[in-house]
Amino acid sequence: MDVVKLDGVTKAFGSVHAVDGLTLTIRQGEILGFLGTNGAGKTTTIKMLLGFFRPDAGSLSVFGADPCEPDARRKIGYMPEMAYYYPYLNVRELLSLYGGLCGMEKSEIRTRSEALIARVGLEDAGARLLKHYSKGMLQRAGIAQALLHDPDLLILDEPFTGLDPLARIQLRDLILEMKSRGKTIFFSSHELSEAELICDRVAILKQGSLVWSGTVGDVAGDGERNLERIFLKMLGHASDAPAVAAESGVRS
Amino acid sequence: MNIVGYRQVRALAGLSVLELYRRKDLIVVFLLCAIILLPLMLFSPFGVSGASRYVDELALLLVWVFSLVIGLGVSARLFPPEFENRTIYPMLSKPVGRGTLLAGKYMGALAASVSALVVFYLAYALLIGMRQGVWFPGILLQAFVLHVGFLVVVTALGLAGSLVMTPSANLTLCALTLLGMLFYGQRLPELAASQQPFGRCMLLALYAVGPHVEFFDLRQRVVHEWPAIGWDVCLAVMVYAVGYAAVCLMLAALAFRKKKF
Repeated sequence: MDVVKLDGVTKAFGSVHAVDGLTLTIRQGEILGFLGTNGAGKTTTIKMLLGFFRPDAGSLSVFGADPCEPDARRKIGYMPEMAYYYPYLNVRELLSLYGGLCGMEKSEIRTRSEALIARVGLEDAGARLLKHYSKGMLQRAGIAQALLHDPDLLILDEPFTGLDPLARIQLRDLILEMKSRGKTIFFSSHELSEAELICDRVAILKQGSLVWSGTVGDVAGDGERNLERIFLKMLGHASDAPAVAAESGVRS
Repeated sequence: MNIVGYRQVRALAGLSVLELYRRKDLIVVFLLCAIILLPLMLFSPFGVSGASRYVDELALLLVWVFSLVIGLGVSARLFPPEFENRTIYPMLSKPVGRGTLLAGKYMGALAASVSALVVFYLAYALLIGMRQGVWFPGILLQAFVLHVGFLVVVTALGLAGSLVMTPSANLTLCALTLLGMLFYGQRLPELAASQQPFGRCMLLALYAVGPHVEFFDLRQRVVHEWPAIGWDVCLAVMVYAVGYAAVCLMLAALAFRKKKF
């Protein structure tokens, strides 16, 4: 079953085509890594998937519904690239706010919050105001809020940014655990090594267009995982890009 | 509104109230108010009882100024930090409509401002009561109710402005408009009559669309211990406040719906 469907999606801001004719599907239970350089259109695509704005052309759906409708977002959990959450709240109050926005009951929020605070390793900082949190701790709080209502689709924008090695491993484990529970994960990243480790499929975006999409297995050559090489070639930083593209079933 | 909508509005409103008190701005305002009011209210100037009315008037003026500062400060600060800190993204990603988001934020600003107003009026009533032995007369209750109406308008105006202007422009324009209307609003038709046709039209237009915050001002009645006004008049003024706030919020909803993040 396709959880996310984008069909010829285009979005322009003035004369800049942030996303240009993007066609992509994400199947239930898979982890899709959405890769590209800065300004490739990853965040714009994510914002359209969350219904922040509509595409200029093409169509998209999440669980078969228009994400601009609030109810369609009930099954989506989202963690933004870097949010400086409310400095005068602690993480429990933050989760209480987001739980309220999801329409959850107080008791349910409390139970889920405690479990998630422990899961992301913030139990010792639970009573501390967020203004005293480090960047990595804020990122963990962001992960907790995204998972609070137990979403079926998790959209993560640059989730590994600002995390220390231990937190990276914890997040990686968390993502894989979500997958094992049948959840779908869509994340954008610059961290090719992380993408290579956990993704079932990878999509590479260049100047708003999809230049490559395939499984991590497609990427591996002679038992060697070389997503970085493919990524650079797709972006035109290596001479043998067309050859690799042909091998891997490139869409361009 | 269904139960989910109610929970969403409550969560948003709670955030505004919690932030206001955690930020400690309000504590500073309360302290300032106490420092100014206490010495003024506890002495009888020159031993003349009539002169104490000027002190009461000054105290009420301070309550009005502080409530305006808090009302505008809270409402104008609801959205800009959300955009700046990117917290608007996780908020909008939840199953909440933009209208609900706006309503929750507005209720939060109003609740926070009214909670501060309650403290101001209780302090005023306490000090007046200690000096005169009259505890919370009817006219003071009406003054409080209409003052809440004033905050209904102020917070809606501040919130709408915050979606279309920069925070400093919004605060300046709203404060000038509200203070201008408070002190000169009722004199606008009189002033318009003495102007050239163009100036007259402009002033009359301003009189028609401007927030008539002077309707909510019962300071003179409280200070001079005049009889209470009819509750039907109070109700009419509150209807005006709610109507004016509804128009502001509709405009805010329009701006918020069109806003791209």
